[in-house]
Amino acid sequence: MTIVLAAALMGLIGLAFSIFLVIANTRFAVEVDPRISKIEENLPGVNCGGCGYPSCSAYAEAVGKEGAPVDLCVVGGEDTSRTVARIMGVQVSDELKEKLIAVVFCQGDSEASAFPGDYEGIPDCAAAVYSQDVAKRCKYGCVGLGSCVKACPFDAIHLSPTGIPFVDAEKCTACGKCVAACPRDLIELHPISHDTLVYCKSQDPGVIARKICKKACIACGICVKAAEKDENGDSVRMKGNLAVVTPEPYSAKPEYGEKCPTDCYATDRNVVNRRKVLDQQKARNEASASVAR
Amino acid sequence: MTYLLVLIAAIVVNNFVLTYFVGICPFIGVSKKLDSALSMGIAVTFVMTLTSIVTWLITHFILIKLNMPYLEYVAYIVVIASLVQFVEMFIKKTLPSLYKALGIFLPLITTNCAILFVALLQAMRSYGFLESIVFGFGAGVGFTLAIVIMAGIREQLELSDIPRPFQGAAVTLVTAGVLALAFMGFSGLLSA
Repeated sequence: MTIVLAAALMGLIGLAFSIFLVIANTRFAVEVDPRISKIEENLPGVNCGGCGYPSCSAYAEAVGKEGAPVDLCVVGGEDTSRTVARIMGVQVSDELKEKLIAVVFCQGDSEASAFPGDYEGIPDCAAAVYSQDVAKRCKYGCVGLGSCVKACPFDAIHLSPTGIPFVDAEKCTACGKCVAACPRDLIELHPISHDTLVYCKSQDPGVIARKICKKACIACGICVKAAEKDENGDSVRMKGNLAVVTPEPYSAKPEYGEKCPTDCYATDRNVVNRRKVLDQQKARNEASASVAR
Repeated sequence: MTYLLVLIAAIVVNNFVLTYFVGICPFIGVSKKLDSALSMGIAVTFVMTLTSIVTWLITHFILIKLNMPYLEYVAYIVVIASLVQFVEMFIKKTLPSLYKALGIFLPLITTNCAILFVALLQAMRSYGFLESIVFGFGAGVGFTLAIVIMAGIREQLELSDIPRPFQGAAVTLVTAGVLALAFMGFSGLLSA
């Protein structure tokens, strides 16, 4: 008898609470757009932030609620954009977006650059820069402690044995995490097919730059003159003590750097697998072109 | 005065985490970041206070009246599970960003033994209605205090140079132990 009574009592208490929960559930119901969860399922889910939203679910919500563009996901690329567009019922332009990759603008590795001593503080680039206690003497160059490597969610950036990060073009999704991680702003995103750049950010006057690093831009202006001679003067410009290749339309040619005394105006540096990705991209473009025809 | 004593006893002298060692799971699990630790503490405080009220009512108006106090464990679990469900709905509706920040640890408050402990202890000590509310609230504040201190220390630990064998879980547990030792210092507060 006691058992039955106990069971009945518990049943009653349980029933009372479930009624309470049902009422609460209708009072506090949150309406969710089914498209949002569907978009989220189709996003890569790595929460890299490359689209400009803090997480994949935040981006999915922005697409569903605020009508954010459907092609912002750099990781999923083309395929994801199409899927998201299909869910939202909109069209994406057929033009293939050029893949961007991260480019490291420093070649001052342990062979090229002067190392006055060892840095033994917190192993983090920002900490080293803020404490002004950096092993490498160039105050514009890569610290070489790999904060960008730690920031990369895709294992696409690594330190070379001589201490300069290099990017794996195949794995890089241009999410921009390393760009934000570098305290000296040495990493930028550039289209993968344009690899002729000035791989230096030093604003030191030529004399000093040359003393500190063998591969620094010494502001001699040879590349700029070569470009002017080619009637393409806009493609490389001096900005203070540094030559800079002008993005859009990236018309600088590798030949302008033939006489660069420090090899900082160069082609295809700090990147591996670039050729492979370019070939793949080419094959894909041809395939989609033939489909269009 | 009694209420004040109950409150202080629950917050510092008999701190749930650092003296009774209940609720260790979220104490370790959600104490990595200060702000999420604080919101976890607030959510637990809310659930604890509600649990205290509801279980007191159930104990005194149902279980004791029907002479079935042996059902308290089962009944309390039902109460806690329902209340956590309710809190989850409430937070999801009113504070979606907090809902995301707490993640899995919000439904896991159900299995936080500190909350069952509040209910059992106040029944064991036969507190009055107001006392048990104060006790539940104090226990929650004590939990919040412990988890916030822990999160603060762990944020500092992130930047310290810890010997390799002690990194990660080891140093966290050592920290919790030292913190518990420090809280033993409060035990003289009330007898004096």
